[in-house]
Amino acid sequence: MTVTTGAALRAAIDAALEARGRARTQPVARRARALAAAARRWQDDPRLHARLPAASGLSPAMVAATVPLVAGAFDVEAMERMVRDEVGETAPDAPPLVAHVLASNVPALALPAIAHAVLLGSAVVVKSGRADPVSAPAFARALADVDPDLGATVVAVTWPGGTSALDEILLQVASVLVLTGADKTIAALAPRAAGRVLRHGTRFSVALVDDSADVDALAEDVVLYEQRGCLSPQTVWVRGDPHAFATRLGEALARAAIRLPPPSATTDERAAVRAFLDDAAWSGAEVRSGPWGAVVVRDLPRFLPTCGRRTVHVAGIDAATSLAERLPAGRIECVGVGGEAPPGLGSIGVSRLCPVGRMQRPPLAWPRGARAPLASLLGRPSPASRLRVES
Amino acid sequence: MERAIAAASGGTEALDFESWAARLFAHQFEYVAAYRTLCERRGLSPATVASWRDVPPVPTAAFRHVDLATGPAEVVFRTSGTSTGPEARGRHLVPRLSLYRTAALPTFARHLLPDGARPRCVFLLPPPAQRPDSSLVRMCEWVGEAFGTGTEWLADDTGLDVTRLAERLAALERSGEAVLVAGPTAGFLRFFDTGRKVRLGPGSRVMDTGGAKGMPRPLSRAGFLRACWSHLGVPGYFCVNEYGLTELCSQRYESAMADRFAGRSLDHRRLVAPPWLRTRVLDPDTLEEVPAGRTGMLCHHDLANAGSVAVVLTEDLGHTAGDDGIVVTGRVSGAPARGCGQLLADVTS
Repeated sequence: MTVTTGAALRAAIDAALEARGRARTQPVARRARALAAAARRWQDDPRLHARLPAASGLSPAMVAATVPLVAGAFDVEAMERMVRDEVGETAPDAPPLVAHVLASNVPALALPAIAHAVLLGSAVVVKSGRADPVSAPAFARALADVDPDLGATVVAVTWPGGTSALDEILLQVASVLVLTGADKTIAALAPRAAGRVLRHGTRFSVALVDDSADVDALAEDVVLYEQRGCLSPQTVWVRGDPHAFATRLGEALARAAIRLPPPSATTDERAAVRAFLDDAAWSGAEVRSGPWGAVVVRDLPRFLPTCGRRTVHVAGIDAATSLAERLPAGRIECVGVGGEAPPGLGSIGVSRLCPVGRMQRPPLAWPRGARAPLASLLGRPSPASRLRVES
Repeated sequence: MERAIAAASGGTEALDFESWAARLFAHQFEYVAAYRTLCERRGLSPATVASWRDVPPVPTAAFRHVDLATGPAEVVFRTSGTSTGPEARGRHLVPRLSLYRTAALPTFARHLLPDGARPRCVFLLPPPAQRPDSSLVRMCEWVGEAFGTGTEWLADDTGLDVTRLAERLAALERSGEAVLVAGPTAGFLRFFDTGRKVRLGPGSRVMDTGGAKGMPRPLSRAGFLRACWSHLGVPGYFCVNEYGLTELCSQRYESAMADRFAGRSLDHRRLVAPPWLRTRVLDPDTLEEVPAGRTGMLCHHDLANAGSVAVVLTEDLGHTAGDDGIVVTGRVSGAPARGCGQLLADVTS
């Protein structure tokens, strides 16, 4: 719901905290089943599919392709296992109220945020970004339909950025405040929080593949969410011939663009791509581009982000063992692998290692920002390395 | 070229832009190897280019990676710091510095001194000895020498000395002398944020440059003009924004003051150019000109860039305004921070 007054926000939060008192005796298994059922309803919500494309700037085809990926993570057994692994049987120390201030570079960030709090037995307030005012209320509705008690513990709100009085209430009442977004935004909000703060700032993803790797799988990782998220690969290091691989990847991106055409872009966005590709070309890089995106082949001793919009760096690498030294510590979220897995990623804060083609399908237990999602809400220490290896 | 620009700026001889553009293209095609390679890759040569509009542009990014000059450089100007470090700074090699001076000074005078004033110059910039590679600092040095009754530099390696600036402005207020205060827009904002207010003498004027780059907080153009009045006592029509790039030897200026002295006070503010600088607004995908008034990437054709490359595609966005002007609306997202505002940010960081 769109909240415009502090009184309305406080009333919604009070109601959620009261509902938490009723719902927290529910066993984890029941909560997990309710969340999974809600995710299925959410996935089929016609209002979601009708409104999300315009709000997010993603094409209807892209929304149709990505919504099932989000809902697919709501696996009952996986949720129960996550609670067992991170929390134990019960969480008496669960924070009463978790508040999320979410970015909206990719839609539906609210769903795992809600799920984690509900699994712990916390009430949760989710303030969505302006490009996704749809997903969170749709999921809250779905959960309320499935289990009214649990649904009542969720408050999904939006308000215009810079509405400082409402921001202030959220910052003051949350036991745990989770901030997701640009580093600058987080830096502005975090010091004002009364409770514990978890920060999810700007992160990137990369891939390490053999030159024979499945380019269509990698292209899908690039294309999904229009390369806006922290799980979108921006640089691909290739063992073997990077030039031949770049040719094949460009062809795969062109095929993907037929199925999932890029959305229209603003002048500013198109100019950013032009400026990026000009810079690459004059630096001596080999640039292949088209309406499908761009592949830039260059030597990259260190990670370098691209301008997004389906633009990928491709660089050669001799050995998987040298990948970690090319990556900035604390800035890489996921490494997609097509061949031998690289060592040493946990120590530099990488949170996921998965096959290419799976990068945009994170499980709910994804230790985002190298933090165990439930343990971090509880304030329990995470193991030194939270690297999750998926197969 | 220098004689033609001098003649055009003096109004003694019209400049044949088309003809000079063709001659410069042929010259630069012959002597700038990297440029020739770019042209040949596109199947373009002096024999195939029929109009100045067809001369291929070089993106500002090129200045970060290759040297583009028709001969040995008399001076190398560098773009201000970037987020990716000094190695990514652009280099503009200028083989003939006097051409820059010949192009810069009359344009400045036309827009900042249309009344023939000789003000005291206060620059919110480091002195030339500290920033010999700044084209803006060099231009201001010439301005002070040519038009000023005295020159003061109020920034150094540690940044803008706001306290000293406030003291100097207060002293100048007492003297009643006409003052030119010039520098990055961000520098003015730092003075405004001190809350200090002075009323500079009649005929005082402001030249700001760099726009939003390096600004500590957002400030609209209208807000800037209001602040110039309330904090400096300089009316908006004596405040002129300069638009320049390290990669260009010519500048555009806001028309406000020149228009006022030409009896066109009601004309909209826009950035106008001397006769040897033309700007096209291009679609980012096709590099074709967009319809008048539509936003695109700014591409400048500067005949004063005779010693490097004349046509430069910038990372600035803007649109045409009227028959002779442009409006800069911003900078491409993700482009490295640079420019005059960044010059101040560099020395204050």
